[in-house]
Amino acid sequence: MIRTRNLKALAVTTALALLYLAGVAPDAPTGLTLLQEAHAIVGAPLTPVSAAGVARRTTRRVVVAESTATQASAANSAAAQQQAATAQQQSATAQQQSATAQQQSATAQQQAAAARPPGAPAVGAVVSTLPAGCKPETRSGVEYQNCGGVYYRAAFQGNNLVYVVQ
Amino acid sequence: MKSSVHRRPTAALSRCFAIAALTTLSVAAQAQSPAIAPEAKQLLKASTDFLASQQRFSADTRNTLEIVLKSGQKIEFNSTGRQYVQRPNKLRSERSGDLIEQVFVYDGKSLTLYQPQEKVYAQVAAPATLEEMLDFAREKYDVVAPFGDLLFRNAYDILMDGVTEGIVVGKAVIEGIVCDHLAFRGEYVDWQIWVQEGAQPLPRRIVITTLDLPNAPQFAVTVTRWNLEPSFDAQTFMFTPQAGAKQIDLLPR
Repeated sequence: MIRTRNLKALAVTTALALLYLAGVAPDAPTGLTLLQEAHAIVGAPLTPVSAAGVARRTTRRVVVAESTATQASAANSAAAQQQAATAQQQSATAQQQSATAQQQSATAQQQAAAARPPGAPAVGAVVSTLPAGCKPETRSGVEYQNCGGVYYRAAFQGNNLVYVVQ
Repeated sequence: MKSSVHRRPTAALSRCFAIAALTTLSVAAQAQSPAIAPEAKQLLKASTDFLASQQRFSADTRNTLEIVLKSGQKIEFNSTGRQYVQRPNKLRSERSGDLIEQVFVYDGKSLTLYQPQEKVYAQVAAPATLEEMLDFAREKYDVVAPFGDLLFRNAYDILMDGVTEGIVVGKAVIEGIVCDHLAFRGEYVDWQIWVQEGAQPLPRRIVITTLDLPNAPQFAVTVTRWNLEPSFDAQTFMFTPQAGAKQIDLLPR
């Protein structure tokens, strides 16, 4: 008989879904905000929803979720810095109509960086919450979330709705 | 044995021997009586066999899931579910709760996971029987149905896997139904099940207690309604995406 030891997934599912929704909902109830801030479930296996096969439960996705929080905030921070830098750049460019080669080079670097901001989460990383300020964009019939230049695509991981960094 | 307190050394010594003898006896008694009471096994087996023999049924459930915060505080989340089963190869499981609404549909060919609120669904080809599909979903995709164990025709084997102790607690009443209350211990979880008394030994409630997490969080399912003569229609096990629903990937494990 196959030993079914990974049936915690649903619990994880529920938990991550909660985290996800708590992150998005503008008026999240206190309990959920608390959950999110406390990293409630992060880093620990969860209450199983099945008696059989509990041992094989995984903390994999939860670990991902934890790193995600850090990455997301890093990405936000990076995006903000990026915008500030871009603004300075534009200002500088406006002041110096006769742009130097150096300046152009810097601008090119800036644009390249804007396409994929430094500190962006690794491609293929799975997050349970999107950073703030994402906009949906459809490319080749697939919907992505553009979050400050980092693209995410929705997917199910187990029973959880998650976002995969593109 | 005398109940008066003796202070003489010989009395103390004899008491030591008595305790030693009693300890030996109790160990012997434990070895003699099986750790899993036969009555508990029988009652469970009757229930799982009964459910396995049902070709079509639906069950409404009320679920509670406890989550332990890092602070140690326990938070409870509630959801309700409805399961539609038609053996050997159809399942629809709907769940809506504090924050999640999810539908799981298996039509014998494919498995669909759907979240109506977010208007997203994922669909993959699935094996030809309910049991194979449940294993497949769990092993390939980490997708599980809450207490899907009970849907297996060999649910008894699955449930008893790793169980070290089992007792019949006694009679209890769940949702107005008289039940036999059974309690089992495993390596990672303790679990209890309430089985309806009489000719239809349906599981009425199940509680899973996690042993290796602080504050031992529990997951509980109460069946509020069993329907052994459900009327399914063509839509029951068919997934039709709502307008604007987008298909997304189901990531492999």
